[in-house]
Amino acid sequence: MASTTSASGGGKAAGGQSLFTRQSSGLVRELGIPAATGIALASVAVVNTFINFYSGLFNFTRVDMVLPLLLGAGIWLVAMFAYRYLLRAIPRAGGEYIYMSRIISPAIGTMIGIATAVGFSYTLSANANFAAAYVPFALNSLGAAFNSSALTSAASSISSTTSCVAVTCSPGLVICAVGMLVIVGLASVFSLRRIAQVILALVIFQVVAFVVLGFLLATHSHQDFVNALGSYSGKASAYSDVIALAQKNGVPLGVDVGASLLVVPFMVLNYNGVLYSYYVGGELKRPGSTYLWASAISLALLIVVWVGVWLLMLNTIGRDFMQAQAQVGGTSDYASITGLQANAGGLGYGLVLSGDPISKILIGLAVPAAEIAVDLAFVAVVTRVIFALAFDRMLPMGLAKVSERNASPVNAIILAVLVGIGFTILGSVLNIANISANLALFFALVLLAGSIAATALPFRRPELIYKPGTTDVDRIAGIPTAAVWGAISTVLALFTVGVIIAKPNVFGAFSVASVGSLIVIFFSGPIIYVIARRMRLSSSSIDMRLAMRELPPE
Amino acid sequence: MPNRGKRALRIFFATDVHGSERCFRKFLAAAKAYEADALILGGDIVGKGLVPIREHNGSLTATVRGDSVTVPREDGERLRAEINQLGFYSVIGGDDEVRRIETDREHREAVFNGEIRKQVEAWCELAAARLPDDVRCVITPGNDDPREIDAVLKASPRIDSPEGELFELGPILLASCGDVTPTPWNTEREYSEEELFGRLARMLDAAPANAKVVANFHNPPYSSGLDFAAELDKNLLPVLRGGRPSIIPVGSKAVREAIKRYQPVVGLHGHIHESKGAQKIGATMCLNPGSDYSADVLRGAIVDIAEDGSFMDFLFTAG
Repeated sequence: MASTTSASGGGKAAGGQSLFTRQSSGLVRELGIPAATGIALASVAVVNTFINFYSGLFNFTRVDMVLPLLLGAGIWLVAMFAYRYLLRAIPRAGGEYIYMSRIISPAIGTMIGIATAVGFSYTLSANANFAAAYVPFALNSLGAAFNSSALTSAASSISSTTSCVAVTCSPGLVICAVGMLVIVGLASVFSLRRIAQVILALVIFQVVAFVVLGFLLATHSHQDFVNALGSYSGKASAYSDVIALAQKNGVPLGVDVGASLLVVPFMVLNYNGVLYSYYVGGELKRPGSTYLWASAISLALLIVVWVGVWLLMLNTIGRDFMQAQAQVGGTSDYASITGLQANAGGLGYGLVLSGDPISKILIGLAVPAAEIAVDLAFVAVVTRVIFALAFDRMLPMGLAKVSERNASPVNAIILAVLVGIGFTILGSVLNIANISANLALFFALVLLAGSIAATALPFRRPELIYKPGTTDVDRIAGIPTAAVWGAISTVLALFTVGVIIAKPNVFGAFSVASVGSLIVIFFSGPIIYVIARRMRLSSSSIDMRLAMRELPPE
Repeated sequence: MPNRGKRALRIFFATDVHGSERCFRKFLAAAKAYEADALILGGDIVGKGLVPIREHNGSLTATVRGDSVTVPREDGERLRAEINQLGFYSVIGGDDEVRRIETDREHREAVFNGEIRKQVEAWCELAAARLPDDVRCVITPGNDDPREIDAVLKASPRIDSPEGELFELGPILLASCGDVTPTPWNTEREYSEEELFGRLARMLDAAPANAKVVANFHNPPYSSGLDFAAELDKNLLPVLRGGRPSIIPVGSKAVREAIKRYQPVVGLHGHIHESKGAQKIGATMCLNPGSDYSADVLRGAIVDIAEDGSFMDFLFTAG
């Protein structure tokens, strides 16, 4: 018999008693709460909120962001509890694919899995393009910080456009986007723990930029901003001119609660990713609690940071100006008043207010840092979905190959990054805007799928969530608790889907190409499943359907 | 290319459940879920930790997942179940008993052994109650299992535990060995490479020349891709090289040599939880399904054997 010892880190043992361990071998699962929080926060991209603030102000008039930010967080809070039951029942990598295939049906699970893999690969490309679009802003910021005309002229030349196959494109920005994806791909080959550390560092960078921005907003008065904008624009009356331009164009200013409610779906999508630590459920220590803590910490942090910075902007910049700028920011009249990029939102205001090079650098690099973090997190997410599909023999087994050295699915990473680069290049020479227009709907549908799986879990696979020592599940008023959370989450996801469909002018117009793409993406899953199963059955005695059976412990 | 002959035997193999009650129950459920004819649990079946639960004034206090938890006495079974879910045993006692467990090593080990024995006996009974009559159930020990459990397993009428023996299982002979080469943890059943090869060779030499053998060796073959683990220093901390943990093969050269020489149709291995994989060594398909018992996940492998005892195909599972 091997000897026993008191386990180190046994925790706060009451009465002195703790855990005693035998000498034995083995180690598994390495991601703790900080790493999972990093993945969740990076999937959201903290600074992207300025883009969503801008989009809300651009698409709707008389809106304020506090209520939508809080309601959006509430929706994700409900989803967080619904997904907690899924992760507790099936604590593995793969997200909605695993949940749907195990709880509802393998074919529907595959539909979600393939759709998620394709949709997230496109998101890699979209984020890289987004980061590239901010490179000129970053170069301008750095140019101002270092007083370098070379950097500002580089910003101008890098964004110069030319005629590509079917659209006007900017080769410099495409190269930036592809370069970023290559860097992300190379970085992703390291172990997930190391990637999570990099992601966390980038998230901290963003938070520091946010804090600096908050500091600038808090330490400057409204009049300081009016003066600074005048100085930045070379026109002392720039601030009032922008508001006057909006009023001249008939833009209503102020706050309307009904209009603000319409922005809720925007803010729901703003938080999209905050729960994504469940995608790497197979690598989380104590999956249920780690996921819950990581998601709750991320949600709380985002609420504090986003609501806080919005309130500071209200105080220092002024709601009327922000609403006016978003509405007229794309006009030539606006351009004649100021060169401040309207869609940069809070970052642009920070640039105007900052007097020192450090804050200019931080503000300038915040968006590229955020997008690199998002793409690293999305590579981690999409490759785990591909891994899960390949593990179940739905995709070639080679994609489930894990590097012995880094424990990372190298082939899946290569595939995801290549598809992302393909989308980026395709987007630069063809107009795929219509196809990608319904990306918001796609994400909402994925959330809906997870919510449905949580609702069905206690009815279809109750044995997976039995209370220890019993053959019953937790209940509220006789209804399984998991189903209650799942049902509420389903209703809220349906609300989001409904608003997205009802507001195509905001969330992306429907066209034959976009709807067709959505159908192809979703229905390729079941077709791949049927083909893969038939191919396997023709050469093997083992039905791959067996791999999708979740074992009941009772 | 998978053998397309008629299937005569379907094996479900899992390993390294380390006392997880939930994983063992899943293991039993696998017979029906995966339509298996035989279940094989390939070693390291007992738990690693013992949690004393202090009984005081009608309440119970224990450390669970690093936190102190106090529950009313009537919730004791639930608390014990939660502790067991982590693969740990628990024992309820008053202040004196808890203090004795803390300070008296011999007493602690006796309590530990008692709990291990109780669990293995309970599992044997559970297997008898739950398994269909036509499903064979083989459980063999691994290096983390105390030798005391061997007798318990052998005494069970429903379990077969042919450790160190050849065992007829339909068209194949199952050769089982839970011994391993030395580990940094100085666990039970450790032997030098030479000694281990001798033990394996003695068992395999006894197989008839035309017999099809499935090797159920807890230790994976050296440098096979089924045996990669972090290199540890003398303090059992990961060795960093170039700022990254050094990953090295830690399998057995004796097992590799035995597989190369005797060419069983399939090699079923475990021991290295994080090194799930499949690798052919000569004509032998070697499998390590890995282990994720601490998350209640039962990793396993379905293996189909043809009427002539040849290997047909395998499928890794996670249930």
